[in-house]
Amino acid sequence: MATTARQGLARVEDGWLTRFFDNRRVLVFLFMLPAAGLLLLFLTYPLGLGVWLGFTDTKIGRAGEFIGFENYSWLFTDKVFWGAVWFTIVYTVVATIGKFTLGLWLALLLNRTLPFKSILRALILLPWIVPTVLSAIAFWWIYDPQFSIISYVLVDVLGWRDSYIDFLGVPNNARASLIVANIWRGIPFVAICLLAGLQTISPSLYEAAMIDGASAWRRFWHITLPLLMPILAVVLTFSVLFTFTDFQLVYAITRGGPVNSTHLMATLAFQRGITGGYLGEGAAIAVAMIPFLIFATCFSYFALANRKWQQGGKDD
Amino acid sequence: MTDVGQTADHERVAPTAVPERSGALEWASLPRLIVTVYTPLIAFVVILLFPFYWMAITTFKSNEELYNYKEYNPFWISSPTLANVKKLLFETDYPQWLVTTMTVAVVSTVISLFASVLAAYAIQRLKFKNSEWVGLAIYLAYLVPPSILFIPLATMVFRFGLYDSPMALILTYPTFLIPFCTWLLIGYFKSIPYELEECALVDGATRLQIMWKITLPLAVPGLISAGIFAFTLSWNEFIYALAFIQSSENKTVPVAVLTQLVEGDVYHWGSLMAGALLGSVPVAIIYSFFVDYYVSSLTGAVKE
Amino acid sequence: MNRFTRRDSIKIGAGAVAGAALIGLPNRRAHAQSYALADPTPPDQPIEDGASLRVLRPSKFVDGDERLFLENSKKFTEATGVDVKVDISSWEDLRPQVATAANVGSGPDVVMAWSDDPHKFADKVLDLTDLATYLGEKYGGWWPLAEKYGIKDGRWIGMPLGASGGTQVYRKSFLQEAGYETPPNDLDGFLTCCQKLKEVGHPAGYALGNAVGDANGWCTWVVWAHGGKLLDDDDNVVLNSPETIEAVKYAKALYDTFIPGTLSWLDPSNNKAFLAGEIGLTQNGISIYYAAKNSDDAAVKALAEDIYHAEVPIGPVGRPTQRALVVNSMVFGYTPYPNAAKEYLRFMMEEEQYAPYLDACIGYWNHPLQTYDSHPVWTTDPKHEPYKHVFRDALWDGYSGSISEQSSVVLSEFVIVQMIASVCAGEATPEEAVAEAERRTLRYFR
Repeated sequence: MATTARQGLARVEDGWLTRFFDNRRVLVFLFMLPAAGLLLLFLTYPLGLGVWLGFTDTKIGRAGEFIGFENYSWLFTDKVFWGAVWFTIVYTVVATIGKFTLGLWLALLLNRTLPFKSILRALILLPWIVPTVLSAIAFWWIYDPQFSIISYVLVDVLGWRDSYIDFLGVPNNARASLIVANIWRGIPFVAICLLAGLQTISPSLYEAAMIDGASAWRRFWHITLPLLMPILAVVLTFSVLFTFTDFQLVYAITRGGPVNSTHLMATLAFQRGITGGYLGEGAAIAVAMIPFLIFATCFSYFALANRKWQQGGKDD
Repeated sequence: MTDVGQTADHERVAPTAVPERSGALEWASLPRLIVTVYTPLIAFVVILLFPFYWMAITTFKSNEELYNYKEYNPFWISSPTLANVKKLLFETDYPQWLVTTMTVAVVSTVISLFASVLAAYAIQRLKFKNSEWVGLAIYLAYLVPPSILFIPLATMVFRFGLYDSPMALILTYPTFLIPFCTWLLIGYFKSIPYELEECALVDGATRLQIMWKITLPLAVPGLISAGIFAFTLSWNEFIYALAFIQSSENKTVPVAVLTQLVEGDVYHWGSLMAGALLGSVPVAIIYSFFVDYYVSSLTGAVKE
Repeated sequence: MNRFTRRDSIKIGAGAVAGAALIGLPNRRAHAQSYALADPTPPDQPIEDGASLRVLRPSKFVDGDERLFLENSKKFTEATGVDVKVDISSWEDLRPQVATAANVGSGPDVVMAWSDDPHKFADKVLDLTDLATYLGEKYGGWWPLAEKYGIKDGRWIGMPLGASGGTQVYRKSFLQEAGYETPPNDLDGFLTCCQKLKEVGHPAGYALGNAVGDANGWCTWVVWAHGGKLLDDDDNVVLNSPETIEAVKYAKALYDTFIPGTLSWLDPSNNKAFLAGEIGLTQNGISIYYAAKNSDDAAVKALAEDIYHAEVPIGPVGRPTQRALVVNSMVFGYTPYPNAAKEYLRFMMEEEQYAPYLDACIGYWNHPLQTYDSHPVWTTDPKHEPYKHVFRDALWDGYSGSISEQSSVVLSEFVIVQMIASVCAGEATPEEAVAEAERRTLRYFR
């Protein structure tokens, strides 16, 4: 490298500026500055600000005053809020179970020699890369009370039902419809991540097990699953976190209706904070998600990954 | 934890009552493969892709066909029309929304990549005191969801006079892009051998030169992965764009399709679906070129 | 002569803008009928140099509304050189957008806001007293309901542009199948009629989602018809009353006759279902009729013949209790061009613009200025007539208290609608729902 050699020479007579910029501490400071600045200003600060707002009666355009726990005590007695908490939990649990069962299944299907495997993989990821709102609108149309294609197939083609399904007009139907849409969107992420995990498992382990006469189920249970656990834990953490704080699907398809039955905590926070203008109350709802999130994160991470921690695999 | 030997032992000691099928049978029999592998796989693909098919087919249907399942087969188009696309492109602000979204996504991606490369390099290569903790903090930052931040961020956006300006998005998107990109790039830098840098250092290159001439060129795949991922994340972002932007021409595609195209006495499903389809196409195209980078960033992020 | 009139009106309905100004001609012989009853001097508001305006309005339900609105705005630009950019927002998004703009202090200069919105931002909007006084003098005075919505503490803070009233819209042939000529005008008879409609397979359908116009419209009607109300004359919250509970029970009984799915209906839903022939009766503005009349689809167009309108049933209180969805224009104080904004509003309300606008909407937005009672739109088609007196007859939100920021929030949070919807969804008893609604209301009135 000619350049390096030349610079090696140049270095001896470098000015203070060059030396200044070659100082490790200075560089660390300068390098960390943009990221740290942006994150502190637009992430850490708002996080604290949100907690503070939850204790005030701030409205859009009016700085609030400290009102202690009033927002929380109001929410505590608010049926809509508890409805949202309940549905958020159900939504997260059911959708996560669905996503992981189906995602794992899909990953196992893909983890073998198949024709067109890379095309298949690319197609399968599609639901995950397309903007959620846009696919949500497609689901909205699929769930249309009068022109639903699902109803059409069930009623007019198969004749399994007499009437069109009212997907979004009845609370429980709407809840189920949203969960299905969420699972649909989540499967690719889970499947592709787990597939990556599966590919790291050495085939020799399976060969050994097969020689020992282990059944497919046993091989899955005793080899695949344990070896997949670390990656499963991380994917699960992410999935739980993003499902719990989901906003787009519900906002696009039902906006929390009918009768507030499909509000997630995030959509309720938006409804109260931005649409209604009660920023304080909205912030309180958002803050109320934090304990759930910490719990969910710790649970999914430690419950599944603790073996890894015990083994001392610390730098994650 | 995964003691295969132990498993096998266990089996030998306590064989199950059900007679075990021989392993060889599994991949030998085609009918069995069809039932256990191909059928479910095809079902998966069909279900995962159906909404897009439905989106596309709705886009090119005429209104009379769209609402008449009795005379037309809803799964097919008997007389395709471009009317919906035309309406979208010439009678709405759609082109403007595309431009806005593109601008916001590109600028915030560039900002984030710049900040992330530097931060990741500092954390992984310059190794300062507590750099591991800083790395962890950035990882945790990625776990802070926008649903918690948008309300306080909204008050800040109002206060800074950024409301209804694309700047509000350009400045806030890095909050979720930087943690992700940094984290991904730390992993990439880790995979580049130190020896190269050490040699250069011995040769007398400055640290900046080393980063610019040696490490970064080797990290290009990582940069591409982080870049397209960040671009997609910005393109798909919804809640900030919904909360911080008001006028039609400043909206991003996902928000505009939902808030501007739903109007009046009929949902114009044709143009709604056209909007959704066209809004998906740019990411889909980028994605199709970089599938492997995409998958590697997705899985790399998870695999630490 | 007569023939010509009819054809002319159809042409207008079909979208011939040029014809709109001519409508008075055959009837009145005057070249253009004037609605001005006096000739006061317009307020002195010289337009600022280099002014431009951003206007925000709700999306259209009848094509003529938006078309004429944009044309009139363009005429304003041509006449004054002031550039006008009109933004359009969906009905349920309009309120939050206005709230944010008001409080952030940037956004549209002029807003065609919902009913009581100006009262929410009374200290943030311009005083329109001069303008409103001038228009009132010129056009035979404002209807009291318009004054109620426009004035706060003796000052005009909003200027109603029009109001949509919900009357019963029905398919005559469907009603005949159920054994009726018109929907009964009393609550019990009306309920029976809905039950019969369900039996013959043409059920009624009323929106119960967060529909700004339709759900608020019929839910408040039911409550008021039974004598329930949000506030008493002294602004005390009195929602939790036997009357309200009675009303909720009645609404639930009505709901049981509806087509499935109404809990998620928004403003467009009933229009769509009605035009698709799925429901025989709903409560709506004239937009359904308008859409049928102007449809390109011959089958839908034929529906127009079968569509009729009737006044909403009258309950034990003994007077009409319909609600008006008022479009209330206001100018934000932060606008750099207050005079241009006020001139714009004046221009839009002057007869040269307003009369054809009313015509193009076929009365969808009822006139707040009394002189337009003589507008031919109310007589060219007898089916327009039930919408003629929205401003005269309707009650206001927050009835019978005053319109305030708080009453406005109760409306924008859909407290009344959700009270009824939660019972219809089977998630609460009428008593629980009413108590919960009052609890929510009290929070805003604390």
